[in-house]
Amino acid sequence: MAKDNVVVIGGGPCGIEVSRNLRDMGYTPILLEQQSELGGHLRQWDRLFPEGVDARKVLKELTSDLRGVKWFTDATIDSIKKSRKGYTVNVDSGMTFESKAVILTTGFKLFPAEKKEEYGYNIYERVITNADLEEYFRTRKDSRIQDPKTIGFVHCVGSRDEKACNRQCSKVCCATAVKQASEIKELFPEATVYCFYMDLRMFGRSYEDMYLNAQKKYGVRFIRGRVSEVSEDIDGKLFVKAEDTLLGKPMKMKMDLLVLMTGIIPGESTAQYSEMLGIERGEDGFFAPKDTILEPCRTKDAGLFIAGTCTGPKTLPETLSEARATAIQVHNFLSK
Amino acid sequence: MIYQGKQKIWADYQKEIPDDHWFYVRSCIRQNFFPASEVTMLKIFREMLGKDMYETPHHTTCGGIAYHNECIPQETQMAIIARQFALMTEAGYENYTCSCITSFGLYCETIETWHEMPEVLERTRENLWKACRREFNIPKYLAHTSDLVFKFRKEIGALAKYRLVNKDTGEPLRVVEHIGCHYAKMFPSKGVGGAEYPYVLVGMAEEWGGNVIDYPERRHCCGFGFRQYLVRANRGYSVSNTHKKFESMEPFHPDFIVTNCPGCPYFLDRWQYVIAEQTGKTYGGNGQGIPVLTYEEMAGLVLGLDPWDIGMQVHQIAVEPLLDKIGIEYDESKKYEGTGGKPLPEPEFPAAIRCC
Amino acid sequence: MGKLYDRLARDIRIKEWLKACMNCGVCVSVCPAAEFYNYSPKNIVNIVQSQDDEQIEALLKSDTIWYCGECMSCMTRCPRKNAAGQIIMALRSLSIEMGYFAESEKGRQQLVLQRALCGNILNYGYCIYPRTFNYEDHPESGTIGKWLGNNLEEVHSRLGSNLEHDGPGVLRKIPKESLDELKSIFDVTGATARMEKVEEVSRRKAEEMGLDMDEYSKRAFTYAGKGHTHE
Repeated sequence: MAKDNVVVIGGGPCGIEVSRNLRDMGYTPILLEQQSELGGHLRQWDRLFPEGVDARKVLKELTSDLRGVKWFTDATIDSIKKSRKGYTVNVDSGMTFESKAVILTTGFKLFPAEKKEEYGYNIYERVITNADLEEYFRTRKDSRIQDPKTIGFVHCVGSRDEKACNRQCSKVCCATAVKQASEIKELFPEATVYCFYMDLRMFGRSYEDMYLNAQKKYGVRFIRGRVSEVSEDIDGKLFVKAEDTLLGKPMKMKMDLLVLMTGIIPGESTAQYSEMLGIERGEDGFFAPKDTILEPCRTKDAGLFIAGTCTGPKTLPETLSEARATAIQVHNFLSK
Repeated sequence: MIYQGKQKIWADYQKEIPDDHWFYVRSCIRQNFFPASEVTMLKIFREMLGKDMYETPHHTTCGGIAYHNECIPQETQMAIIARQFALMTEAGYENYTCSCITSFGLYCETIETWHEMPEVLERTRENLWKACRREFNIPKYLAHTSDLVFKFRKEIGALAKYRLVNKDTGEPLRVVEHIGCHYAKMFPSKGVGGAEYPYVLVGMAEEWGGNVIDYPERRHCCGFGFRQYLVRANRGYSVSNTHKKFESMEPFHPDFIVTNCPGCPYFLDRWQYVIAEQTGKTYGGNGQGIPVLTYEEMAGLVLGLDPWDIGMQVHQIAVEPLLDKIGIEYDESKKYEGTGGKPLPEPEFPAAIRCC
Repeated sequence: MGKLYDRLARDIRIKEWLKACMNCGVCVSVCPAAEFYNYSPKNIVNIVQSQDDEQIEALLKSDTIWYCGECMSCMTRCPRKNAAGQIIMALRSLSIEMGYFAESEKGRQQLVLQRALCGNILNYGYCIYPRTFNYEDHPESGTIGKWLGNNLEEVHSRLGSNLEHDGPGVLRKIPKESLDELKSIFDVTGATARMEKVEEVSRRKAEEMGLDMDEYSKRAFTYAGKGHTHE
């Protein structure tokens, strides 16, 4: 097998796994990452659901053997042009790569919580996001978290919300909320923890166990109702309004800390690449593959592949599976 | 409270407001309960700022209160609005400003409906022609009069004689701003600052030296509720909502309340009297209640207009404590006089709340 | 899909503001009526959504649809872009058209409102008018309200009003031609028909209840029975 260059754009878990698999099959992956480190959002997480596996360990494993992968960080793509042989990729540092195939693994962005104005993120101090909380779990440093006695988790922030211009469900936030609710209860055993949910998406293996555990072991209280409004009392604590829809009762509760489960939305570059390369996007803004069931990693250009969360919300194991599948598809394409 | 977070949101919700040549229509409630507010508004804009605010005697109510009480069907409502726009068109204007918040909400909603459903616009044109042979253009710009005062807050500030500052302590006054529900709750992008943290009154108050305070039930409706007030049997709803707001703002010790809707100050003012009579409780700490101002009155006071010229005497809650705090001079003996100093009988004073 | 639902669905407000409710409860938690009355905007939208004529008819005859204060706080927050407040208005309109409003205590109040507000519009060109805003009906307007009512011309003159005079200004006399145009609009667009309907249905209901119109109308204005609020 010739040591063909294959350009992979986006050095998160998906891009890394695609590259490793392509390398194993004898190609020379060129992995280009915009940020100064590989790993994408995985770098920000503490523990992964459902078992609470250490995210740092997973990242270390993924990046432990990148021999034969040419990876570059702080690399921003200037342009990708179709050439006779495939694609010419120009990086801002001045590098240029020729590649018969290009794989976009550009990942996602978290919904900016301040856009859901009624929740008061960055206005009321005690309102934080799921990402902020993961950071706290990693560093144990956040001045907003001061021995909270009543903690609320708000599901569906920026998801399933026409007003936020995102109709889609972000899939993983429910599991994350149940995980984080359990974890914060471990840190603050005296606290009462509430999850304000719409539908509890416990679709994966062991997720229902995690939910059961959250209730039985940690006493997390699940209230079916979307939070409508957050305000601040004179003591800095938060008032949270929601309806317990199962009881049909509107409620106003006082909280010491509120965690907003911000959803997965298309990354900044998705629109950009879509234009640059003529890749279609769905109404939700993510890349639209050639066929969502049979060819979820192909586009209308045979040499252009898309994988990972740039095509929609996914869990990490799903992303890694998709990465490996895409590597095979790329190999099949290059072998023709 | 992280102020910069609010500033970012305000920056997102800017509204384009032309600076002159307005077709002006009045508010039923404001004319009834705060008549001098509209007089003051026009005085400020026409005389002090030299603007063209045109009023035709032929304009009428927009019908909003009747519409929200289901007394007139939506088609009638749209035709009345169309007639108002026809008067604007006839007078040669394309900027439309209204004094009432219910009107403003209704104008926004109607224009939006006409935009979404052109057949409805067509039908309205037919109805208007059939009824009174008039044709109309949709205004190019629509603003509430508080948007205009907001736009010219710096100019007004430059002419101001007083600041919203406690003259004894030097501290900015603590201002509660109350936005009428129909200003931005229906179409947040049509309100300056959006629906969650509206900026139209905050901008004025801050420009003129005050400090706006937030409190948990800030966004809550004052409780007018249309039929929930107009029908005596329902008034419990109305006072309960106002009561809820006062209970929520009390710990924050506001010096006064300012509102942009004409109905809200009526309710925030008079229900304090009712709550005092029924429960003995007053807010504000001095047994006199928390003064409630319209934004025209707030502008008039900072500009140094006489409080009795701008209509403060037709409020139930005494405004004198606020005037004293700011250092505004006034002649108490002239408070209840008629035109040219004509003496009038004084109002009775309520038992449970001190009004002087 | 039945006849009643079809009729309801023709209302512009249903077309624009009924998308699909997913029972998130956001509207209920900010609704002032839900707090003080036995009321849930969510339940109402669900009934409409069910398209069940029997349930809709029961709704139109009940006190329930008259609890809303039309503040539109629900409209700001709904994640499906429904507007319960607008749907309520469509239900109220249909209730009036069908004559069902008179079957409920709160619905019967419509007569009083209509006479007052439409009367003001057609006679004066304003929705609220000081000559028809009686202190006896509004003691909550305070001692200052009473004073204003007793010294109306003087106070208005002092404040720069143009009360009941020609030309522009506060509470000016709106020219007869304009009032005629409003009447014409009422006739052409169905407001007059609605007024007549409300009078007729109320008259029949009063008869059924054994009350003359004065008694009926006074009761509608002042009487509040039990069962409206959370006990």
